Amino acid sequence: MLEWILRGLRGGRVTTRYPACDEQPPARFRGRVDVLDDGQADPALEEVCPTAAILARDGRVRLDRGRCILCGACVQAAPDRFAFRPSYQTASPRREGLWVGAGQEADVWPAIRTLRDHAGALRNSVSVRHVDAGSDGSEEWEIHALTNPYYDVQRLGITFTPSPRHADILLVTGAVTAPMRRPMQLAFEVMPGPKAVIAAGTEACSGALTAGGEDVLGGVDRVLPVDVYIPGSPPSPIALLHGILLAMGRLGEERAA
Amino acid sequence: MTLEPLPTGRRELPVSLPGAPEDAPPGELRVRIAPRELAPAAKALHEVHARLVTMFLARSPEPSLVWVFALRGRLVVLRCPWEEGQEPVPSLGDAWPAARWAERELAERLAGLARPGAFTRPDPDRATRQVEGLDVFTLPYGPVRSGVFEAIQFVIETGGEDIPRLQTRPFFKHRGLERRMRDMTPERAVYVAERIAGIASVAWATAFSQAVEQALGVEAPPRAQRWRAVLAETERIANHLDVIAKEAETASLHVGQARFLIHKENLLRLQAALTGSRFARGALVPGGIRQECAIALDALLAALESFQRELRRDRKLFLGTASMTDRLIGTGQLDRETIEDYGAVGPLARGSGVAVDARHERPYGDYRRLGLQIVTHEQGDAMARIHVRFGEIAESVRILRQAIDQLRRRDGELRLPLPERTSGAGFGWTEAPQGELLAWVEIDDGRVANVHFAAPDLRNWALFEHAFPKDVLTDFAFIEHSFGLTPAGADR
Repeated sequence: MLEWILRGLRGGRVTTRYPACDEQPPARFRGRVDVLDDGQADPALEEVCPTAAILARDGRVRLDRGRCILCGACVQAAPDRFAFRPSYQTASPRREGLWVGAGQEADVWPAIRTLRDHAGALRNSVSVRHVDAGSDGSEEWEIHALTNPYYDVQRLGITFTPSPRHADILLVTGAVTAPMRRPMQLAFEVMPGPKAVIAAGTEACSGALTAGGEDVLGGVDRVLPVDVYIPGSPPSPIALLHGILLAMGRLGEERAA
Repeated sequence: MTLEPLPTGRRELPVSLPGAPEDAPPGELRVRIAPRELAPAAKALHEVHARLVTMFLARSPEPSLVWVFALRGRLVVLRCPWEEGQEPVPSLGDAWPAARWAERELAERLAGLARPGAFTRPDPDRATRQVEGLDVFTLPYGPVRSGVFEAIQFVIETGGEDIPRLQTRPFFKHRGLERRMRDMTPERAVYVAERIAGIASVAWATAFSQAVEQALGVEAPPRAQRWRAVLAETERIANHLDVIAKEAETASLHVGQARFLIHKENLLRLQAALTGSRFARGALVPGGIRQECAIALDALLAALESFQRELRRDRKLFLGTASMTDRLIGTGQLDRETIEDYGAVGPLARGSGVAVDARHERPYGDYRRLGLQIVTHEQGDAMARIHVRFGEIAESVRILRQAIDQLRRRDGELRLPLPERTSGAGFGWTEAPQGELLAWVEIDDGRVANVHFAAPDLRNWALFEHAFPKDVLTDFAFIEHSFGLTPAGADR
């Protein structure tokens, strides 16, 4: 056992300093899609997207990150309009906040303030309960990664709890399937208040590619009140952490969006 | 080690089958049979130790029931013209335990999904009891379980320690993704394919792409095949490390868990540097790959070297820690007969001495040129499966080196355009980290018309209830992790 301890110590510190310092993703990392130019476009542009996340009407182009699976079809078809940005800042406390145009990100600050009041009691330490409502399995890997030495979320007072009765935050992955609807609802009902629900992943935000499948109800907000949406297919560990910190009300105005 | 291409045709088969042979691509034998010929054909195949892969309903060239067997480096495909509403075809379930779940799923899907509580639409609150006795109780474990796990349910009947009976209930996460792919172009449907089992995105996207390429008569350029192999082997290492880290976690070997999770995270970051996605999503497309991977080959090689050096020490420590290995040795024993009866695949089968590996049996893509050594262990317990995974990690690193070497030597095209508005149907397969994955794709006028995936996860979950011959409740998590399966792949 001593050998293990020495082995662990020899590796040195690998843990990120996020959120105190920014974490730099690799240059080509597909964190989110930004709209570079939202001027008048051919409505045929909407057809490019496999999940109907692009709206090109009324003389503007809008992108719904809550549906975007980061496939890059739009970046390839219209590189002057869309571009990948290596960023982890994707979460939003409002579904509408995931709709973006050029230049400006949606103003989600009022919603964050509301959430902060509501989540005030959660601020210092939270217990998170994860429920898989029909994910593809990769979201579980990314959530599990939060406990590895690179991210080590326990240093921020975030712990994962086996029982929903201890939980402050319900972290739901995947579009909700019919058999998972009730187990997920039950887990939410037995949680003590104040509590928050996080939809983790594009599938949990809107259903994305799985929407319209047999037995798929769609995004988590069809069943539960969602406080924070974390798009991404799957969202990376830092993006998840950003969303959890949002729900805890721990991010300042300048870092939240 | 590469296999010589086998000649096709009925004469060379060690078995004589009833029915009429049909045109088939090299490496496949397709036979059209009548319903009454199924039983004798299956019996003949059983005698020569063919392995049942899957059964499904095909629409091309005409609506038919299809059974796929793997036999000595070839696929044997029995096709029986059949339409919904016709008289049912006899079941193979008695002779082939491997057919039971496949038949059940197909029958329920054909009858419609309306019935909650069915096998394919489970009701978490309803469980049937079989073991009677004093102090025997039923423990429904799941679909929401302690820890960060995917949704699946196990109904455990126990007297407190031993597990006389266990039922595995998948399909809580059935999203109907095969059906969802219909009417999409193959270039778009591959996005769905890589989201069926997210932790094996590359394997699923490769199987789908190769089936489309087979159906449309194109072949991905060699450089694209090579990159596919690089991404697939990286994914395999990450999956095996995940299993090992979870075993360490279950044994409360915290430093060990941390070390293997660090390696796994490094691998995912390598995928992100290569493709922009930590799961290599959006990299593959039918006809090749979408773009050249971004990382310099020297940097990739250096990352591999340091990974291999670090892992060697952790592996030695892991295998030398008695509190760890004691929990694995003799746990979850599966004998060779059960493995063969159920047609199990992947590290699970290789841990019981059955050398099935799609990369070797029917080499595809770059594996026709790369050498491959199959890692097997005879003991059939959780320890053997972990040994297999460690061995395969080393083997994957070796394959990666070969592939990188060849990528360095030669440049080439990355993607061929698919012929437009064409029709066709074909099989594609890969060895996913969980085992052999087979895809059947029908293309009609340039759009996907019908898809079927034979997931390694579903086939291997069927064995889970047999893995508790003398094990108790506290061994449960060790056995589950040693299987290393993902419910998302099984449920589709």
